[in-house]
Amino acid sequence: MINGNLKADYSADERILNNRNKQFFVYGSMFFLTLFPVFADDYAVLMACKMGILLIAVIGVNVLTGYTGLISLGHGAFIAIGAYSTVIFSNLFDGLPTGILPFVVVPLAISVSAIIGIIVGLPSLRVKGLYLAVATLAASFIVKFLIEQDLFSPWTGGIVGIDTPVPNILGWELDTKREMYVLITVLAICTMLAAQNLFRTRVGRAFIAIRDRDYSAEILGISLLRYKLMSFAISAGYCGLSGALGAYFYARILPDQFGLNLSLELVAALIVGGMGRTLGPFFGVIIIMLVPELIKISMSSATGGSLDWARYTAPVQEIVFGLLLVFFLLKEPLGINQITDRMLRAINRWPFARG
Amino acid sequence: MTFNRREFLATGAAATAAIGTPMILKAQAKEYVLGASLPLTGPFATAGQLVAPAFSLAQKLFNDEGGIAGIPIRFVTEDSGYVPQNTLANYQRVLATEGNSLVAYFSDSTGAMKLIAPELKGDNARLMGSTSFASELADPATHPYQYLSGPTYQDQFDILMQNIKLAGGSKIAIIYSNTEFGRDPLEHGRAKAAELGLEIVLEETTKPQGADIPTHVTKLAQSGAEHCILHGYVTGVWPQLIGGARQFGLPVQFHGTFWGMEKLIADRITAEAGPFLAGYQGVMPYRYFYDRDDAPRYQQYAALSKAMFAGTPLENYMSTWALQAMCGLELAMKALRATAEAGNELTADNVAENLSGISDWDSGGFFGGPVSMTNNKIGTGRVYEYSPETKLFTPSSDWLST
Amino acid sequence: MGQFTQFAINGLMSGAIYALIAVGIVSVYKATKVVNFAHGYLIMFGAYFYFTFAVIIPGQEWAPEWLASWKPSWMLEMRKGLGMFSPLGAVLDWMANIPRILLGLVGAVSCNAILGRVVERTLMRPLMGQSVFAMIMVTVGLISILSGSASLIWTADAAFVPHIAPNTPIRFELFGTMIFLFGADIVNMLIALLIFGGIVTMVKFTKAGIAIRATAEDQSTAYSMGISVPKVFSNAWVLASTTGAVAGAILATRNGISPSLGLFGFSVLAIVLMGGLDSYVGCFIAAMSVGVLEAMTQWKMGGEWAAIVPYVAVLVVIIFRPHGLMGQKEVERI
Repeated sequence: MINGNLKADYSADERILNNRNKQFFVYGSMFFLTLFPVFADDYAVLMACKMGILLIAVIGVNVLTGYTGLISLGHGAFIAIGAYSTVIFSNLFDGLPTGILPFVVVPLAISVSAIIGIIVGLPSLRVKGLYLAVATLAASFIVKFLIEQDLFSPWTGGIVGIDTPVPNILGWELDTKREMYVLITVLAICTMLAAQNLFRTRVGRAFIAIRDRDYSAEILGISLLRYKLMSFAISAGYCGLSGALGAYFYARILPDQFGLNLSLELVAALIVGGMGRTLGPFFGVIIIMLVPELIKISMSSATGGSLDWARYTAPVQEIVFGLLLVFFLLKEPLGINQITDRMLRAINRWPFARG
Repeated sequence: MTFNRREFLATGAAATAAIGTPMILKAQAKEYVLGASLPLTGPFATAGQLVAPAFSLAQKLFNDEGGIAGIPIRFVTEDSGYVPQNTLANYQRVLATEGNSLVAYFSDSTGAMKLIAPELKGDNARLMGSTSFASELADPATHPYQYLSGPTYQDQFDILMQNIKLAGGSKIAIIYSNTEFGRDPLEHGRAKAAELGLEIVLEETTKPQGADIPTHVTKLAQSGAEHCILHGYVTGVWPQLIGGARQFGLPVQFHGTFWGMEKLIADRITAEAGPFLAGYQGVMPYRYFYDRDDAPRYQQYAALSKAMFAGTPLENYMSTWALQAMCGLELAMKALRATAEAGNELTADNVAENLSGISDWDSGGFFGGPVSMTNNKIGTGRVYEYSPETKLFTPSSDWLST
Repeated sequence: MGQFTQFAINGLMSGAIYALIAVGIVSVYKATKVVNFAHGYLIMFGAYFYFTFAVIIPGQEWAPEWLASWKPSWMLEMRKGLGMFSPLGAVLDWMANIPRILLGLVGAVSCNAILGRVVERTLMRPLMGQSVFAMIMVTVGLISILSGSASLIWTADAAFVPHIAPNTPIRFELFGTMIFLFGADIVNMLIALLIFGGIVTMVKFTKAGIAIRATAEDQSTAYSMGISVPKVFSNAWVLASTTGAVAGAILATRNGISPSLGLFGFSVLAIVLMGGLDSYVGCFIAAMSVGVLEAMTQWKMGGEWAAIVPYVAVLVVIIFRPHGLMGQKEVERI
């Protein structure tokens, strides 16, 4: 009931989980995620890992697109940079004890991503909107092209890809998917918390001011140069972390994994989930990853696994992906987060007015 | 949008059910599962759709013969769209749902084989054949569980170049697609050309589909090459390149590798655009399906195809691509049966050991004579030439081994 | 020098096709302020429609025979004894294809016009007045819808489509090097340039064109001056999809049909931004220079480098001229 939300002091009002329903939802989800590897089968764990990796990247895109208002269609490139840096640095620092290697390599991968993010973000000072979208798109094509070049193949493996190391955290070797699940889930929750808290600081508020009107923000004394580039760096850094996890998760990485489709998937997940909201990426990733699986499962059970029909699955998945994006843009531009908000509000006010 | 609570719950329940189903499947009757990924969509869809029927034929054929030591087999075939990570996901899915019943896998591209190779460890390892002839895979030390059902692309280049040398050629051009498949034998090809004293006057990379044909043909024309090797294509690009060169009246002799040697494609090109493939040569590890007078295994296939695909174009002809898949499956079955008959468990290690031990195998059709697995490949092949009048590829060399 | 000329001509020929594709993106942007990321996929549909009407339909059993191959007796007479690839033989072979080429072009243009109108009505019209971001993202969603539908409708088959013009080889010597040109490519270039010129003239002088320009200037003022803005919107989409159909047919004959034709859209998008989104002249210059640059890269560095030329070019241009070579600078008011 609504009077259950009574707050007696400011600190209660400032909490992230400022009412019981939110607390119930968040703690409930965490409880579920903890128990998940116990009862889920291998394939469900595998899907959950992939979702977690994608989630971290979508949170990164959310910082840039959702909070700062800069469109990017090329964030797949930062994931690629994160993944490849992880492999390259691991091979470079071969001499270090494997137990502490990830603590050196992953921060390095994140910073390389962030630095390249700043470089790619440079045009954002002069161009906005769709010019920036195309500039990032162009940059991502170029990054993928460079990775494929023979010139760099001693480090990147070129077009045939490169084997990745097994992560080893202080002697704990994560060589099964279930162990990776633990690492990925913990990191995903941490990044989500970090993103949520970022927007309670001066920096985060500056981002939001830039999104709402960049010139006004500048007049208020926010340095566009500094904050736009910072937003690019943070968002690329998140994607770098996602790439690093991806490199640890897959036994080998290929440049093809980081193409245009990945970049579009990131943006689509963000739009479907809800831009500029902390839980938006969470909902978006679940939909974007689960819907194709459901289509595949239902189509193969409907046709009895017949090969004649198997070739229609991929096109249907593709069409549904596009339709989801269009549907949310036309009908629910604020994404699933808006729907869940409405539901939470309705529960909160029950039995009084809804909406 | 209105998405009320009940609908939301229903969707959630459906999702949970979908994730949960694989667990139920796990406890199924005893049968062996062979998984496969094929490019039913994407750039090489034509090939995938021609190969797919071979799997239903194989399932029937092998089960009629008694499966693996009396236990029936079942194929789980899925689409990959020629995207390596889709193949990986398919493999991981079938591994998770079928567990130990999964005894072998057939994957669909050089990229996928290389992507999956490092995943094949311990309990996750299975015997794995594929559509690829990538040279890197023919190495039991690094890829113990993966095998090729023919010669590597490098071997195919060797055979082609030797043949060019014999024909008195000196200037060659290599046109290849910018994929891992297209680039595979390149470095080796350069070395081989240097060894044979052939001069490579042009190395041109193209897109695997939708390539800029006029520009590539111009470069070929200006290079002055006498022979041109086309590699890394399946249905597209190579016919257009040859067509363009013929229109310019270039006297270049074109050579293809396994994937560019399908009769169905050559016939269709002849029907649609004229007889310009006359004299097109290429290397082929297998006999064509119509050459089955003394091939008992091919005759079995033919009888089955007639019964199973009556009324379709596949009734009387099996594509070379399907033959490659069949050959791969024959090898896998041979190794699996040998392992089971010896009373061993069908683990990847046991099966792979039996596979690499295959020697003097009379395939009953595929090859010129008895063949052996060396380095997880069968290094034999022969050069064929296409004739638009007879619409047949006829041998223009003897069986060559590398 | 001879080789340079060869590749410069090749570059101009592909540049002209880029310009023809660019015209669609620019027109839609001028009228609706939407940058169509899915334009390449409209082109791909045009190519597949051309394939349907020029190859599949004439190949059906119920189609009249002259449609598939028109062979009057005088033509057979002339064809006799000519080599397969002799110049006159090529022209005669082309003439036998005229009925299906015409059917293909008419079919492609009209089907694509319907497609363009449907897209505008169902997806773009409801977003009128909404944020630019939403409109761009809808076109991004359209990419998946179109490419998925294409692979549902047409199975991926490598098929030859008839050339729009006789593909006579042209060879001559210049500066000591043989120059090789395809007849069809030259005609394609002329067609592309004619359509481009026609559209620019139309936008400049006809009433419908003036309506587009007025809408581009200021939508609400145009509305209040009696211009039907929704009509301008749908006209622009139809214009884009029909020019796209011609471009698609040309690309199908040049490069073969495949779903990868859609990717052309992205390189042309880069070209359009380089030239300036609302400037036909700027786009023409950008298209031609990227075409030539690409051909030069192809010549000197090989195929894979050519693929990123448009992207590198657009980044360089955007850094120095944020609104492209000749684009109008946007004035923002707070």
